[in-house]
Order: sequence, then C-alpha cells, then structure tokens
Amino acid sequence: MIRAGRVHARMVRAIVRKDLTEFARDRLWMVLTPLALIVFAAVYWLLPATVDESVTIGVAPPALAAVLDLASLAGDARADSPRIVPFADEASLARAIDDGRPAPDGDRAEPVTIGLAFPADFLLAALTGREPTVRLHVAGSVPPELQGALTAAVREAAFAASGSPLPVTLPAADALVLGPDRSGAQLPLRERMRPLLAFFVLLTESLALASLLAAEVSSRTVAAVLATPARVLDVIVAKGVTGTALAFSQATLLLLVTRSFDANVLPLLAAVALGSVLMAGVALLTGAAGRDFLGTLFLGVGFLIPLTLPAFALLFPGSVSTWIQVLPSHGVVQAIHGAGALGLGFGDLAVPFATGALWSLALFALGGWVLARRVASA
Amino acid sequence: MRAVTETTRTGSAPRTGPRPLALDVRALRFAYGDRIALHGIDVAVAPGEVLGFLGPNGAGKSTTIKVITGQLLPSGGEVRVLGMDVTKRRSEVQARIGVGFEEKNLYASLSGAENLLFFARLFGIGRPDVDGLLARVGLSERGHDRVSGYSKGMRQRLMMARALINDPDVLILDEPTDGLDPTSARTIRDLIRERAANGTAVLLTTHDMWEADELADRVVFLHEGRIYAEGPPEDLKLRHGKRNVRIRFREDGLVREVVVPLDGPDASQRLAQATAGVDLLTVHTEEATLETVFVEMTGRGLT
Repeated sequence: MIRAGRVHARMVRAIVRKDLTEFARDRLWMVLTPLALIVFAAVYWLLPATVDESVTIGVAPPALAAVLDLASLAGDARADSPRIVPFADEASLARAIDDGRPAPDGDRAEPVTIGLAFPADFLLAALTGREPTVRLHVAGSVPPELQGALTAAVREAAFAASGSPLPVTLPAADALVLGPDRSGAQLPLRERMRPLLAFFVLLTESLALASLLAAEVSSRTVAAVLATPARVLDVIVAKGVTGTALAFSQATLLLLVTRSFDANVLPLLAAVALGSVLMAGVALLTGAAGRDFLGTLFLGVGFLIPLTLPAFALLFPGSVSTWIQVLPSHGVVQAIHGAGALGLGFGDLAVPFATGALWSLALFALGGWVLARRVASA
Repeated sequence: MRAVTETTRTGSAPRTGPRPLALDVRALRFAYGDRIALHGIDVAVAPGEVLGFLGPNGAGKSTTIKVITGQLLPSGGEVRVLGMDVTKRRSEVQARIGVGFEEKNLYASLSGAENLLFFARLFGIGRPDVDGLLARVGLSERGHDRVSGYSKGMRQRLMMARALINDPDVLILDEPTDGLDPTSARTIRDLIRERAANGTAVLLTTHDMWEADELADRVVFLHEGRIYAEGPPEDLKLRHGKRNVRIRFREDGLVREVVVPLDGPDASQRLAQATAGVDLLTVHTEEATLETVFVEMTGRGLT
C-alpha cells in the first residue's frame, strides 16, 4: 500500500540522529552494551593463549615402555611430543586414567589420559606372526582422532618390532573438517572464540535495534514520520544504517580490545561490516514482527541462536555436519575467523565474503519488506 | 478545481464568492482486502474553514485521513490537497499538511523540543521556531523535559505543536482534545480557531459533538464508509432536529410545565398562547444536538 520511492539523505540523517539519541537514552541497552563488551573481552583474555599439545601415555607392563619407542613413532623429539610413563600392570594404568591422577613419577603434573596395555608376550607374538590384543584405555576428554592416531602408533610399533604389519583397521572418517591444515600450529581457544564473541556483540546490538524498532512501530511514531515527506524506504535505510553502525562500532571495539587488528585489518573490518549488515537485517525482521519488548526478544533470540552455530563450530572443529554451511551467518563467521585468526586475505576468503554478502543483502531486503508491510498495516 | 461557497456559522447566507478548495476528496473508495472501508465519499474543505468529520469508531474516518496524508493509496477516486493529487505528488502534499494523530505517538525518550526539532528536520525546516511553538501551547517551562514525564494534556498540546511545525496550509486533527482537562482543551480549540482565521483549512475528527458544534463551520456525518449528511451544524440541527420551548409557570400554587413545539405552522401563535396570562418562571429552548441528529439519521450513537 505504501510506495517506497528513492532514498532521501536528509530524512535518513534525521532519523539516524534521532535513533542514536533514543539508543543513548535507553537505560537497558546503555547498561547491556558496555557490560557485554566488558564480559566478552574478559572471556577472551581469561582463555588460554597457548595450545597444550603434550600428552602423557601410560604403558603397561613397564618393560614394553622401555622397549617400544612409542614417543618417537608418534611424533618427534619436541618438548610437546607424547611422554611415556610405565605402569606396573593394566589395572593400575586403568585406575590412573579413571581417577585423572598425575603420572606416578611425579616430575610432571599432567594426568595420564591414555593408556596402552600390552600383553606380556606382545613382542614374541608379533615376531611369530600371531595377532596379540593391545588394550587402549582413554579418558573421556581425549578426542577420537587421537585414539585413531594411537592405534596407528601401536601398529607401527609392532611393525618395527616384527617387521610385518598388524591387521589393524582404522575407522572411516564420518566428519569433514573444513579449513586449512593447522597441524602443528593449532589455534588457542581464545582465537577460536573470537568470531563467537564478535558475533555475540553483533547479536546484542541486533536485539537493541529490534527492540527500538518494535517500540517505534507499536507506538505508531513511525506513522507520524510517514505523514511527513519521509518515505518508508527512508525509514528502512535509516534503521539499517543505525543498526549497522551500532553493531559495527561495538564489534570493532571488541576486536580492538582483543588486539585482533595486528594484520589483515581491511578484510577483518569488511567481515565485521558484513556481519553488522546481516544483523541489522535480522533486527529489521524481528523488530517488525515483534509486538513488544518481550515478543521481540523471544523472536530475536529464536532467530539468532541458529546463526551462532557456525561460530560454535569453530570452537569444536569436526563436531558439526557440513549443513551449517547453509546458515546465513556461515560466510560471515568464516570471514571473521579467516581474517582475524588465520591471517587470510580477500583472495583466500572470496567465497565466505561472497556468500556472506549475499545472505546479508537478502536478510536486509527481507527485513525491510516485512517492516514496510508492518508499517503499512499500523 | 472545485470550489465551495463560503457560508456563515448559521449557514444562512454566503459571505463571499467561491474559493479554491484546500482539500478536495472525490468519490474516494478504499478496501482492506474484501472489506470496503470507504464507498466513494466526497469531502471538501476550503482555506480557513473548519470541517467537522464525525462518525462512530470504524466509520472510516482514520482510513480517510490515512489516504489524505498519503499513508494509504486509494482503491478509487481522487484526493487533491491544494490542487495537488496526493497519489502523484505525495511529498509536496505532505510538506503542506500538519497531522495530529489520535494516539499520542511522540518519542518519549526525547524532550518536547527534540520531538519538534526532529520533525522540523523531516520537513526540511532549517531554523524552526521551536520555542515559539512550545510557548503557544503552554509548554515553555517543560519543553526541554523528556516527554516520558509529560501528562496526557501536555502530550496532547505537544502533538498540536508538532502538527503546526511546518506551518501547514491544511491541518488534519484526529480527536485533538480527547480526554483533556478544560484548560488544555481550550488551548487546543483556541489554536484551531487561530489557524483557521489565518487561512488554514482544518479537518477535525471528534466524538465531542459540543466541540464540533463550537468549532466547525461545516460537519460531515460518516457512517459505515458512507456520508449520511453534510452541512453547517445549525443547518443540520434545524433540518433534522426537533425544536421545542419548555415553559415553566406557577398556577394555583403549583409549578407546572408545558413543551411547545416550534416546528410546523403557527408556532408563534402556540407560543403566545402558552405564555399568555400565566405566572412565568422559566423559558428554555430545546434545540437538537448534533448527536441527536446523527442518531436519528444513522440509528446509532457516535461511540
């Protein structure tokens, strides 16, 4: 019912100025916004900045620990290569893993998380071509891929001892880990958290804009605006500019505080800008659909939780399926992670940027359309 | 362009010749889906004229206002403001009209002055006389306070100031004195009279029949999307209402009362007979009100 027409810069400026004043006077968001920044920055700095790649492997009986050079087979002679700790028997080894106790020699505090219990006649069996059973004890915290690696290590040890391979089969891969190979250069948890924290900031600002928008629609102040020469397109663009500016400034501030701009400033800023547009689009959508603050919050959270999944997936690589790539936020998250944590440039991130841009524009257009319809029926 | 013949408050005789219309609505139709809200109505307001736009809730008043102000596109018919087609020159039309909404749709976290400044910016007014407007509606002292702390009357007065921020040629007011205390209501009515006297065309919707009678040069009765009657309040009352004189007198030590109808022939004679030779106590005229006229015409009240 309402025609859009072209955008009037004067109207957009006036509405943005008014919106920012309203935002600055909203006690809830003026408390939540800095609080969220402080909390997210604190979470970042409190997380470990390094990756502990060391692992302590218990071996029983002790004789085999001395004979089998498992450490050199599993890695190299670096300080973070597996440390072999002998145990008197399988039972004591299992207890140590169950209890999470430190290694019995006491020189290092790391608990034993993996144990290899060899049969007493392991070497003889391997040499005579029989198939001995090696029991692998692992703590619940050990990732499955490490279990596979140890199986391979045992097989190699048997091969070294006997000269012939053991019939060990490895499980087929059922998950695809995307991204560059970070073997030997794993990202610390805080670096993997960065996109998630930035995304939470964008989410907070998205909810702020949505609630302001819902208030504007429900109080019908927007009807008063549209009774002036301002058009509905001016309102939509102004709300988008306000939301994008708020989200972008807060997310950029967080990235500054977390020292994320050491390299690749432009790709990272571009990625954050894309995320801000995406969230502004979500805010238009939820703000227009919500009837009041609680309704908007409910809608907003319900809509935004799925969008955080790609960021969570970075925390636990390989833990989710590839379907998350279809989520609107996947490209943006990959772009933020790639530029901020992996140091990738525009060329490397062309696909995430392209999909992020498409989704951002699509959501913004959808949000604008819903808002225009809501305004027309107000 | 159509024109109206200006009439006096009693509707008895034209004051001047025809003048161009400030607001000219012809055969306006509008439908919300299958539900027809307006069945081809005609409304005209001349510069300096106050038109009372009356009708119960759901009659189509708000829809008409939304179409006039360019918020809705008509399903049919034509709306011209100051000679401009609203559907074709919406921005130009909106720059020349002021709208006072029924709901107090003000920005509560902004001050009164900030509300006015914001709307002045939307109208492209470089240096609006915000302080002057606030003074005119009696908000000088509270103009820089946030609207969230305003009373209902103060909000309504600020709404009026907002409607005047662009010095409009056409003023559209929806229930401008609804729920106000007498002093605030009087301030608003004085402003409406003042604007009309300065040549602004005023379209006024109200449930207050006394107010319509007091302010409007003409009234339109809208019901179920159709216009039932139109004309000066006095004309409508004379045309559709009953006129009586209630006479109280003392007789044999008792107070008695008779009602003399003035309609029909020989009214003067009947009145003379009723008052001749009696100990008169009071004489009251009983005129029809706009509400009774409306009820008589539509079969229902205005609320």
